[in-house]
Amino acid sequence: RPCSTRATLEGINKPVIDRIIRVDHAGEYGANRIYAGQMAVLGRSSAGPIIQQMWNQEKDHLKKFNELMVAYRVRPTVLLPFWNVAGFVLGAGSALLGKKGAMACTVAVEESISDHYNSQIRTLMEEDPEKYKELLQIIKQFRDDEREHHDIGLEHDAEAAPAYSVLKTAIQLGCKAAIFLSERI
Amino acid sequence: VPISGGGSGVVGILVRCQLYSPQRALQASAVLRRVSDEQKKEPLASSSQQQFDSHPADHQPEQEPQGPRPSYTGQGGQESEDYESEEQLQHRILTAALEFVPEHGWTAEAIAEGAKTLGLSVAAAGMFHSDGSELILHFVSQCNTKLSDLLEQEQKLVQLGKAEKKSTDQFLRDAVEARLRMLIPYIEKWPQALSILLLPHNIPSSLNLLTSMIDDIWQYAGDQSTDFNWYTRRAVLTGIYNTTELVMMQDSSPDFEDTWRFLENRVADAMNMGDTANQVQSTGEAVVQGLMGAAVTVSNAETNRRSE
Repeated sequence: RPCSTRATLEGINKPVIDRIIRVDHAGEYGANRIYAGQMAVLGRSSAGPIIQQMWNQEKDHLKKFNELMVAYRVRPTVLLPFWNVAGFVLGAGSALLGKKGAMACTVAVEESISDHYNSQIRTLMEEDPEKYKELLQIIKQFRDDEREHHDIGLEHDAEAAPAYSVLKTAIQLGCKAAIFLSERI
Repeated sequence: VPISGGGSGVVGILVRCQLYSPQRALQASAVLRRVSDEQKKEPLASSSQQQFDSHPADHQPEQEPQGPRPSYTGQGGQESEDYESEEQLQHRILTAALEFVPEHGWTAEAIAEGAKTLGLSVAAAGMFHSDGSELILHFVSQCNTKLSDLLEQEQKLVQLGKAEKKSTDQFLRDAVEARLRMLIPYIEKWPQALSILLLPHNIPSSLNLLTSMIDDIWQYAGDQSTDFNWYTRRAVLTGIYNTTELVMMQDSSPDFEDTWRFLENRVADAMNMGDTANQVQSTGEAVVQGLMGAAVTVSNAETNRRSE
C-alpha cells in the first residue's frame, strides 16, 4: 500500500505515535525471534504445535505493525539487528532448559508486553480516544492475544520451570530495558 | 511555535527580540508597527507563504478518509485573514529576498532588498541572523516542499493510470535531479550557502531538512522497508545527493550534463551494491557452513586416529 493513510497523519501527536509504533514493532519483532529460537530447539517435541500456534499469531501482529509503520511513516528502531540475535538466543536458551523453561520465558515476556500495551492504551485514551480509534482497537486486540499466550504458558507448567522466579524477573528486566531503548533509538 | 495572533504578534516579536539585543528589538518593533498599519488596509494571504507554513509531511494525498476527524486548523489558520504572525511575516520577507540572492548572495542585503519590495523598512533585516542562515534554510525548506508536491502529483498521475510507473533507479534519479535543478538560479552563490549550512549551529536544522527530504523521496518511491534497510537506503541516497551536489558546484558543462551523468552512475552503483550485499551475505553463510563442516570432519578424524 504506497502512502496509504496520509489523511491519518494530519493532526496526530506524531512524537507519541512514533514511539508507540516503533516500540511495538520492535516488540513483535523480538517476540517472533523468541518463538523462532524456541522452535529451533523444541520444534519436534510435544510443545511444538503450541509454540507454532502462538508464533503464527505473532507473525500477524508483526505484519500489522509493518503496515502501520509505513502508513504513519515511523522509522524502525536502530536496534533491530540486535533484537534479532538477542530474541533468538533468549528463545533457544530458554528452550534448552526444557519445555517448562520455554513456557516460563513465554509467560515472562508476554506479561511484560501486555502490561506495556495497557500503558499505551492509557496514553492514547488520555490523548484522544476518537482520533486514535483504529490504533486503539489494534493494540487492544493484540493485548488480548498476548494475555492468552501468557495463560497458555501458565497452563503448560511454566511455574514448574527451574528457578522460575529468578528466570522471570531476569527476563522481565530485560524486556523493560528493551522497551526503554526501542522507544528512544 | 511562534507567539502568534493579531496584536500579540507585536508583543511576541518584542519579547523574542529582547533575547537578542535591545537594538534589534527596536528595529523589529519599527518594522512591525509599519506592518500592522498595513494589515489594516489589506488582509494578506499569500499562497506561497501558506504553502510553506505547513510541514512537507502534511502535503500528502488523501486516500483513505478515516471518517469524521476532528478538524485541525494550523497555527493562525483563521487569524491570517486579518493578521499575520511574526513567523508568517518572516516567511514573506525571506521569500521576497530570494530574488536578490543572485546579486547580493545569502546576506542581510538581500533580505533588506526583499523587505523593500514588500514596502517594509530595510531594518526588517534586523529580524534575522546576520549570517543569512535563515534565508538559506528557508530556501532549502521551500525547495523540499516543492519537490514533495511534484512527487505527489507524479504519484497521482501514476495512480490514475495516466503515467507509467518508473523503475526505482529511474525514480530516484529524476527526483534528485529535479531537486538539484532548483539550485540552478542560485548556483553561483550556492557554495557560500553550503558552507553556512555546515556551521555547527546550523547543522541540526540543515540535517533535519536533508533527512526529511530524503525520507520524502523514498516514501514516494514506494519504500516499504521496516527493517534495517530503512537506514541503509536513506544513508545511500543521502550520500548520492550530497556528492552529486558537490559535482554540480564544479560543473561547467551545458545544462549540467556531466552532473546528471554522474548521478546516473551513482544510482546504478547503489543498485549494484544492493545485489553485491546480498551475494556477500549468502557467501558469508556458505563459508560459515563450510567451516563448521570442516571442524566436524577434523574432530571426527582426530577421534578416529586416537581410537586406532
